[in-house]
Amino acid sequence: MSVLTFDNVTVTAKIGQRRIDVLRDLSFTLGQNEIIGLVGESGAGKSMIGRTVSGLLPDNFSVTSGDVLFNGQSLLALSRTERRALLGRKIAFIPQEPLSALNPVRTIGAQFDEHLRHLGIDRARRHALMIERLEQVQLRNAAEALQRYPHELSGGQCQRVLIAMAFAGAPMLVVADEPTTALDVMTQARIVRLIAEQQAAHQTALLFITHDLRLAGHVCGNVGVMYAGDMVEYGPAGAVLKEPSHPYTRSLLAAMPQLTGPRRVLPALADNMPGIGSFATLPGCRFAPRCVVKDPVCAGTRLPQRPVGEGHWVRCSEQCAAGAALAEGALLPPPAIDMAAKEPAVAFDNVRLSYHAARGFLGLKTSQFDAVKDATFKIREGEIVGIVGESGSGKTSIGRLIVGLEQPSAGTIRIEGEDYVQDGRIIHLTRRDTQLIFQDPQSALNPRRSVLRLLTQALETGDSYQPESARRPFAENLLKDIGLPPDCLDRFPSQLSGGQRQRVNIGRALGAKPRLVVADEIVSGLDVSVQAHILNCLLDLNRQHGLTIIFISHDLAVVRYLCSRILMMHSGEIVEEGATETVFANPRHPYTKALLDAVPPENSDQPWPPVLQ
Amino acid sequence: MSDTVSTPVAATAAPLVKPAARTPSPVMEAFRSAIRSPKVVVGGIIVLVVTICALFAPQIAPNDPDNQDLINMLLPPMWAEGGDAQYPFGTDSLGRCIFSQMIYGARVALEVGFGAAVGAMLLGTALALLAGYFGGWIDRIISHFVDLWMSLPPVVLSLTLMVGFGTGVGNVILAIVLVDWTRFCRVVRSDVMVVARRDFVSAAKLLGFGHTRIILREILPGVAPLIITLFTLQIGIGVIVEAILSFVGMSVPADVPAWGKMIAGARNYMYQAPWGMMLPIIAIFVTVLGFNLLGEGLRVTLDPRLRKRSV
Repeated sequence: MSVLTFDNVTVTAKIGQRRIDVLRDLSFTLGQNEIIGLVGESGAGKSMIGRTVSGLLPDNFSVTSGDVLFNGQSLLALSRTERRALLGRKIAFIPQEPLSALNPVRTIGAQFDEHLRHLGIDRARRHALMIERLEQVQLRNAAEALQRYPHELSGGQCQRVLIAMAFAGAPMLVVADEPTTALDVMTQARIVRLIAEQQAAHQTALLFITHDLRLAGHVCGNVGVMYAGDMVEYGPAGAVLKEPSHPYTRSLLAAMPQLTGPRRVLPALADNMPGIGSFATLPGCRFAPRCVVKDPVCAGTRLPQRPVGEGHWVRCSEQCAAGAALAEGALLPPPAIDMAAKEPAVAFDNVRLSYHAARGFLGLKTSQFDAVKDATFKIREGEIVGIVGESGSGKTSIGRLIVGLEQPSAGTIRIEGEDYVQDGRIIHLTRRDTQLIFQDPQSALNPRRSVLRLLTQALETGDSYQPESARRPFAENLLKDIGLPPDCLDRFPSQLSGGQRQRVNIGRALGAKPRLVVADEIVSGLDVSVQAHILNCLLDLNRQHGLTIIFISHDLAVVRYLCSRILMMHSGEIVEEGATETVFANPRHPYTKALLDAVPPENSDQPWPPVLQ
Repeated sequence: MSDTVSTPVAATAAPLVKPAARTPSPVMEAFRSAIRSPKVVVGGIIVLVVTICALFAPQIAPNDPDNQDLINMLLPPMWAEGGDAQYPFGTDSLGRCIFSQMIYGARVALEVGFGAAVGAMLLGTALALLAGYFGGWIDRIISHFVDLWMSLPPVVLSLTLMVGFGTGVGNVILAIVLVDWTRFCRVVRSDVMVVARRDFVSAAKLLGFGHTRIILREILPGVAPLIITLFTLQIGIGVIVEAILSFVGMSVPADVPAWGKMIAGARNYMYQAPWGMMLPIIAIFVTVLGFNLLGEGLRVTLDPRLRKRSV
């Protein structure tokens, strides 16, 4: 008996006067004790599926055909009260942002207690049950955690609380909407293991929504790939990952950088996934405009599901089945490093960065927090160096120290031989030659500047001043480097997509013609194809202009693709340093080893997640 | 059958992203979204009417407001018994046309309103920008100063200032500025602090932009919507304060009509001739309402966070 069945569900949105199908003909079945993964990039419609189950679709969205069955009973036919009786009890949710999902002004204990009350558990048993459940999810000091507020716990701890709450009522179905996206790699591994354990213990059916195809391959029995509201491929996890049949799935897998195996160029797909506004122009296969193997009939007609294996089907035309797999990109030569013994571009010497917080009565006592402890390293011109670590490891602080946005509390920093601090005075706080690409394009781009003015911001003053007339050609040249169409110039950041904003962000930093660029987590949170494009863009810049790049990230596969040397950071210290391949092949520090183990391997047969402390 | 758009269509080469038509400048965008809001439209019309009254008072008013017609004292409005068409809303105790006084009164009201708003805006915003951007001891000094200044009771303070400076419209404006700049400073400072912490300000520093350039080019445009909103509200406040001060006779000289003065004069004849008080009260009410609506409507339309997302 299936727990959840989607039977040719179509969700239509009424936007203005138009009706647009945002989910089309969705069908899958989830049985008891099964895990299904829904994979797709942002905007593919995966969260919409979770909302259809919970009945939380926006007002102008409605299910116009098909049915959603829960235990044989139609969910859509239920009244609001009946559905509310199911939610939280028989159907539970694990949300994406753990910190936002908890009420910030109530303690964990109060919220958990309310949830248990909703489940009908009497007062006498509640407290003991809460402690028991929290210990099951390995939350340390469970009794103390109940007294805390959400902001006092880390993201991983909050997620554990939410998992405990979700499984507290022994539900039949759990919908996990990107539960690990906001967490770093090690926490992700722990949380995924936790969810898998809880699922096995309660024999729950689990719907696992994620954008990481490899992660889904390890966790789920069956995987469905979503693109622009269509499910384009569905099948057993191993089959979908090893023999992807849809061109989109293939390109998705190919665009993910790999941690092992030979380095090859990441093929980047042109354009972006169509947004809701463009669905009207794509009545047939919505991937057709970007498809490498194109059958002219694909764009016009709705394609049926075509079986390609045991329980494995794909929504693609017959002709494409014989079409070529994506051509293997040429082997990437490692970037050349100028090893001539001249002044290194960046030299850190016993650098410490500390913050002081006021404590005690009237703030008279101070406590010290070391963001960076005793950092010593050199970076040569033309190198691409990666700084890897979890959040809080100090990698962003090092980036800011390099460009001069922070001043070291101790030690010396030399940029191209020049010391910032001379005779105790700070000179040249920042230099135009060293630029920082900020992580969040929302915050890094002035919303009141057009793209043209953003890209030419460096020309407004100083040595590279150019009059207004010369700025547009400069901006047009820059657009070519970052791969944006020329009609973007007069738009504003709010009119661009996330990937485009990030590219403008990069262009803005490059507009100052720097010799050294610190890229602070610039590809995290981007779709895989956009990420691939940006990485290739950085490699080109490094090869053509000799740009020194310091790439800060927590994603090991991306760092391996881009960087020739890496620095591993943990709690403010540099724990390991060396050539990328050497460090990954033979990690010496236990932290590095743990980090490498925590990354989901490409081969879905290999056991994962590992047992981590 | 619902007309969904999934019927087959010869979809050849329809571009995924429509090429952007001439994207309008942000000012045009702001204007277009502003006039969609009913508050802005109503408030804007009221403000426009009041401004026209003030600017073209000699053309609009039926009579000279100073002209004392001692034969026709305390005449009722023209539709009442004993009224005269020459004086549409009747006359006051000295035979001056109430309607004309009301129209001319708009001049002083707006003069004080705009003048005080501009002064408070300039002083408050300048200090707010310095405090919010630089932080540290500059912020501490300015904030303490604002806290101290705000703890003085406003009406008492302005009356004291008037006694000290003497009467007159210019001094009224000065008094209002000295009392109300703190509101601008406090509110704008917190917005400046938010904007100054955004990464694009750090990015501008990395490009070698000096402090002045950053404050004027990066931060000020970001807090401009808030300042515009506060400005329109401040005009309403200025109108009321001016009415209070002219009520106690500390504002305009004897021959200049002002709404507060009209109320003070009509107070003595409140029971025999109530219309004398009604008109200035309505004038003040409508003017302040207009500016408040405009300010509230602008706040919503100019604040990007409160705007509804379009698909």
